[in-house]
Amino acid sequence: MNSNPQDPRVSASASSPAEETLRLIASLPSPAGLEERVQSALETAPNAALRWGRVLAWPRTLRPESGWMRSAAAAAIVFVVAGGGWGVYTKVEQNQPAKVIVMPARMPAQGGFGGAGAMRTPQTLPGPKVPQPVKTNPAEPKTMKKPVATHRQAGNGAGQPTKTAGEAGAPR
Amino acid sequence: MGTSQAIVAGITAEWMETPTSALNDQARRRAEDSALAAMVDQYASALYRVAYSVLRNQADAEDAVQEAFVRVLRHRDSLGEVRDHRVWLIRIVWNIVLDRKRRAKTRPETDDVAELARVLPSTGLSAEELAAAAQHHAHVLSCVDQLPAKERQVLMLSAFEELSSVEIASVLGISESSVRSRLFRARNLMAELLDHVRNSGERSLR
Repeated sequence: MNSNPQDPRVSASASSPAEETLRLIASLPSPAGLEERVQSALETAPNAALRWGRVLAWPRTLRPESGWMRSAAAAAIVFVVAGGGWGVYTKVEQNQPAKVIVMPARMPAQGGFGGAGAMRTPQTLPGPKVPQPVKTNPAEPKTMKKPVATHRQAGNGAGQPTKTAGEAGAPR
Repeated sequence: MGTSQAIVAGITAEWMETPTSALNDQARRRAEDSALAAMVDQYASALYRVAYSVLRNQADAEDAVQEAFVRVLRHRDSLGEVRDHRVWLIRIVWNIVLDRKRRAKTRPETDDVAELARVLPSTGLSAEELAAAAQHHAHVLSCVDQLPAKERQVLMLSAFEELSSVEIASVLGISESSVRSRLFRARNLMAELLDHVRNSGERSLR
C-alpha cells in the first residue's frame, strides 16, 4: 500500500478489483439508437422549454418575432383600457347631490302609559354646611407687630447659649 | 371590392415581412440546433456510461442523458461561452445522476447481480462463469457504495480513462490535488474493505 498520495505510481499500479470492476462498467457500450432517441426527445423538448417561462404562448402562425403582432397587441390593449375607462366615465353622474333621507317621526306606541308631561326631578341630599366667614372691616389700619427676640438659642437642651467656634476649642 | 382586398393584402404582406434581426435570429437558432445535434452524436455515449456507472440501470441512465441535453437546449444561448463541451456535459449529467441517486434512496435497491449479468460481455464465458463474474462485480460495487461520498465519486470518475485528473477536478469543482488525495484515500479504504470481507468470508468457511 502506498503512503504518498502524490506518488505518480499510485495511478499506474492501482489495479485493484474495485477499479477493474469500475473500468469494466465505464467501458460498457451504450444501447443502440441512443443518439436517435435523444435527438427525438430534443425535438419535442423546445415547446416544453418555452412553456416553462411563459404564461401565455403565441400561436405558431403568429410568431411575434417580426414585431408587428406585438404592436397590434399593444394597440388593442390600449384601446380596450381606454374604451373601458370612457364607458365608466360616461355612466357615472358627476356632482350628484347627496340624498337626504327623511326619517319618520317617532310615534309612541298606542295603548301604553304616558308621562302626562311630568318631569323627573332627582332627589338631592342636603349639602355640607360651611360656616360663614367673619367679615373684617377693610378700613381698619393694620398694626405692624414687632418681632420678639428669643433669648433661648437652639442646639442646647439645657438652655445654655451655644458656644462659638473659638470657644469650642478649635485647633489653634 | 377588389381594390380594397389588394390594399389589405399589401398591408398584411408589409406587416408580415421579416426584419433582418429576425432572420439573424433564425440563422443563429439553426446553427445552435445543428451544434446541439453534433454534440448529441459525439458525447451521448460517454454521458450514458457516466450515468450508468452511478445509476446502474439502463433506462435511468438514458433518461439522465436526455435530461442533460434538454438542459443544454434550455441554456443554448450560453453555449458559445463554454470552453470544454465534453467536461461541461459530463458535469451536467453527473449532477443529474447524483440528484436522482439521492432521490432514489427511498426506492428499493436495484438488483446489481441480475443487471450486471445482463449487460456484461459474455463472449467466451459459460453461464456459470458469467453468473460468478456478475456476483463478484456486484460484491465489489457494494463495497464501493460503502465508501464516503467524496472518495467514491473520485474513484468512480477515475475509472473513465478519457478523464484526466484535471478534468475530474473540473467536473467535481475541486482542485486537482484534492482529486489525488481523495483517490489515494479511496483506494486505501477500498483495499481495507475488500480485505475485511475476504477475511470474514474465510472465517465463515472454517
